[in-house]
Amino acid sequence: MNIERFHDRARKDEELAEEIESHLAHERDANAARGLSEEEARRRANVRFGNARTTRERVWRYRSVPLLEDLGRDLRFGFRSMAKTPGFAIIAILLIAVAIGVNTAVFSVIDAVLLRPLTYPDPQALVELRNTSERGSFPGANIPKFSLWHRQTSIFQQVAAYDFGGAGLNITGGDHPQQVQGIHVSADYFALFGAPMAAGRTFTQAEDSPNGGHVTVLSYGLWKSRYGANPNAVGSTIQLDGQPYLIVGVVGRGFVTDTPADLWVPFQFDLNSQDMAHYFTVAARLKPGISIEQANAQLRLAGDEYRRLYGADSLPAGAGFSVVSLQEALIGDMRSPLLILLGAVGFVLLIACANVANLLLARAAARKREFATRAALGAGRGQLLRQLLLESLTMSLTGGVIGLVLGFAGVRILLRINPGNIPRIGEDGSAVSLDLNILLFTAGIALLTGLLFGLIPAISATRTDLTSVLNESGSRAGLGVRSGRFRSVLVSVEMALTVVLVIGAGLLIRTYLKLQAVDPGFAMHNVISMAMSVSGSRFQTTAPVAQVIRDGSDRIRAIPGVVDVGVSNCLPMAGGFGMEFDVVGRPKTDSPFTGGAGFYSISWSYFNALKIPLLRGRSFTKQDDAAAPGVVVINEAMARRYWPNSDPLKDKIVIGAGAGPAFAEGPRQVVGIVGDTHDGGPNREPFPIMYIPLAQMPDLETALNSRVAPLYWIIRSQADPRTLVSSMTAALREASGGLPVAHVRTMEEIEARNIARQRFNMLLLTVFGVAGMLMAAIGVYGVMSYSVQQRTQELGVRMALGAQAKNLRNMVVAQGMVLTLIGVLVGTGGSLWLTHFLRSFLFGVRALDPLVFVATPLLLLAVALISVWSPAVRATRVDPMTALRIE
Amino acid sequence: MAMQRPPDGGEILQGTLDMLILRTLVLGPAHGHTIAEAIERTSENALEVEQGSLYPALHRLEDRGWLSSEWGVSENNRKAKFYRLTAKGRKELNAATGRWRRMTRAIGLILGESFE
Repeated sequence: MNIERFHDRARKDEELAEEIESHLAHERDANAARGLSEEEARRRANVRFGNARTTRERVWRYRSVPLLEDLGRDLRFGFRSMAKTPGFAIIAILLIAVAIGVNTAVFSVIDAVLLRPLTYPDPQALVELRNTSERGSFPGANIPKFSLWHRQTSIFQQVAAYDFGGAGLNITGGDHPQQVQGIHVSADYFALFGAPMAAGRTFTQAEDSPNGGHVTVLSYGLWKSRYGANPNAVGSTIQLDGQPYLIVGVVGRGFVTDTPADLWVPFQFDLNSQDMAHYFTVAARLKPGISIEQANAQLRLAGDEYRRLYGADSLPAGAGFSVVSLQEALIGDMRSPLLILLGAVGFVLLIACANVANLLLARAAARKREFATRAALGAGRGQLLRQLLLESLTMSLTGGVIGLVLGFAGVRILLRINPGNIPRIGEDGSAVSLDLNILLFTAGIALLTGLLFGLIPAISATRTDLTSVLNESGSRAGLGVRSGRFRSVLVSVEMALTVVLVIGAGLLIRTYLKLQAVDPGFAMHNVISMAMSVSGSRFQTTAPVAQVIRDGSDRIRAIPGVVDVGVSNCLPMAGGFGMEFDVVGRPKTDSPFTGGAGFYSISWSYFNALKIPLLRGRSFTKQDDAAAPGVVVINEAMARRYWPNSDPLKDKIVIGAGAGPAFAEGPRQVVGIVGDTHDGGPNREPFPIMYIPLAQMPDLETALNSRVAPLYWIIRSQADPRTLVSSMTAALREASGGLPVAHVRTMEEIEARNIARQRFNMLLLTVFGVAGMLMAAIGVYGVMSYSVQQRTQELGVRMALGAQAKNLRNMVVAQGMVLTLIGVLVGTGGSLWLTHFLRSFLFGVRALDPLVFVATPLLLLAVALISVWSPAVRATRVDPMTALRIE
Repeated sequence: MAMQRPPDGGEILQGTLDMLILRTLVLGPAHGHTIAEAIERTSENALEVEQGSLYPALHRLEDRGWLSSEWGVSENNRKAKFYRLTAKGRKELNAATGRWRRMTRAIGLILGESFE
């Protein structure tokens, strides 16, 4: 096809007209030469040429793309006919816009979390190293594992270790110390993630070795805020926890890790270490051409080697190593809730489509004579169909554009209501942004909905019998039984979809209420926590840490309004450490240890500060220090699980045997049993926990702890503790020789965070359910009103024949309720199956919760009853005389 | 009616009009009326050019670059648009003529004519 033919059509047409005129003139000349009169010569020339207009049209059409031309015309017509019934168009477009809006909103989160590749170069090759067992796989590594994985050069290009979260570091030396997010990494970290350097260089292998010196790499943000992006910062030193660190480089602006950091310092692992503590994550970049399966096969061999090197106890039989793609690892368990939300908004979209289709069917009835007339004037069925579809597409695309805007406003609101740690969405959801995926998605569903809600009405409207319609009297022209049946089916479908949504919302609401009702096992009201990083060289042994805790506790307690203060290396409900233990004197079974439990190091007043009740024995005292005999307090869950038939208070346990030199210590006497706490969140059963006094930790363990976790100060006050924060931080700074605190949060905030995701899902599904319910109610109302209007005559005849108003009303109500009932039954049946997808999000209710499964259908029947009531009452007001006279 | 059609139908076979136009223009530039007349006269009035097809065909051929055109003054001293065969058009004419010869021969063979 050549472009020339479409070029400059109007000018060419004029030229053609001139050309035809010239042709006719020559023909006239020829005729005149044959002796014809001027009049006859003109007549014959015209007759012989035929219709000049037809010729011009033929050329014109040949120069056009016919589909596009007609499309443009039909689009204009679509807009015109929309403008003629603006009320209808606005309602339909708004319905579609809202439905598309929620879909766009949810999809844009899915896009950011699930679909977009990681921002690192060649992200497909990035994997996270995992420990596998029968229970699944989990991240985390110790130095021997890291060292072993590092040697797998046949599958990995780089292997790097980095902190889980980091203990935080303090920039000192100024007037006010500043706690920053410092992350320990191994030397290959920057190469692994392809970090661009704004200045300087990354760590050398020598710097990442024991005694490699104090060096650090700054983030672009810190470089800018602290040094004004001065290149001379590289080569200068920065005081971290009182030690000078040489700044060797600054990473580029675009480099953001998924655990954001202000600066990085090298781990400086001793690769020959036998330290068995897991306290960091390891990621790797696969060699080109190596698949995840190949890597896993190699790692199975590595597992055997690990067992050979460090003993059979180091890795239980059936356990081993594996890799998962880093993206998968980051997405974690976020995939299914997002997909469920997408399913829910898909339902909303379908309900909206059914509703608009319903509206269109009603309007098509009113326009039936228009179609018949146009068909009589020669419009083919295909042309009518195309035009009707274009009208619906015009509406859906307009709705799509508005929906895109709504969706983008909506997603901001969505993320503002605290979605509960959705990975990868950035600070306040900043990573959720418009991209091609979202545009395509929205355009796609807009087109799809246009076809979906346009097709049935269009087919039904164009399937008409010309003469019968044209002969019918205008006011009464209906679409007959078939379209009535379509509309009824649509209403039932809407109801069914709505039931599913509302049942899902009901289950999540019940879950949320149950979660809120769970007693966490510790005080949350008026309790505040703050993190203090003790990462400096001062805190490599237990005594100085214990001293800071004693001094700080005394100073805090002296603040008026403070009830008690406790210190811990783990924060309840924020995750903590675990450790294996052995009961002294208990015979070994097949497992190398008696069992595992949460492992908290706490100050003596921790239980009191959090109001965790002492059930038996004694709590810790200030006297349980390094000089006193080793003691341990366990929780009820631990006593129940490991001492089902005996008294734990008579036993001693050894904690962390075989976990490496940091944890080497003697047996501890179990001195007390305290109440359980829901540390893993209210939806988890309390797990076994053992508590030891911070003052009794082995020095090496304290040193390790200081590197990987901050100390949490937990303070309970009489009134709102936030009013006391400044005096608390001042007291702690004095006690610690100038250490700042960060992450000041009340326990209620932490708890809210814990069930934020459930709350988020519940809120969304409730909103969707209510939206669906409203639309379904409108649908029922619309169909019944229309049906009453259509049956005016029939109703009049019935009345004339003696039907009571009550009978007529009940007839209409029954008709509407039958449609609803069918929908509700189908929806409830569907929910029996669909709710099992929700099972993992439920707590305290079963997926087939009887209350929800009974209440929801009743609720919808009630809503439907309200909706059909007014059309039903209208049916009784039909005046038989008027109704009959219409004929 | 002024139209006298030969009883066996002088309609030009579809697709051959282009070829006839190109052939006519080998003799030199001409405007639409002359082209139509020439085709009819040369065919001894066996073929009749439907005017409604002629101009679409001329425009199509021009768009394809087989013809070029310019306005000029005709033998009757009237303004007229003259079409001229381009090199590309000449090539196409050769190809089309070849195709036509092959086809008529093939059809002739089937109908039992001899080409000796």
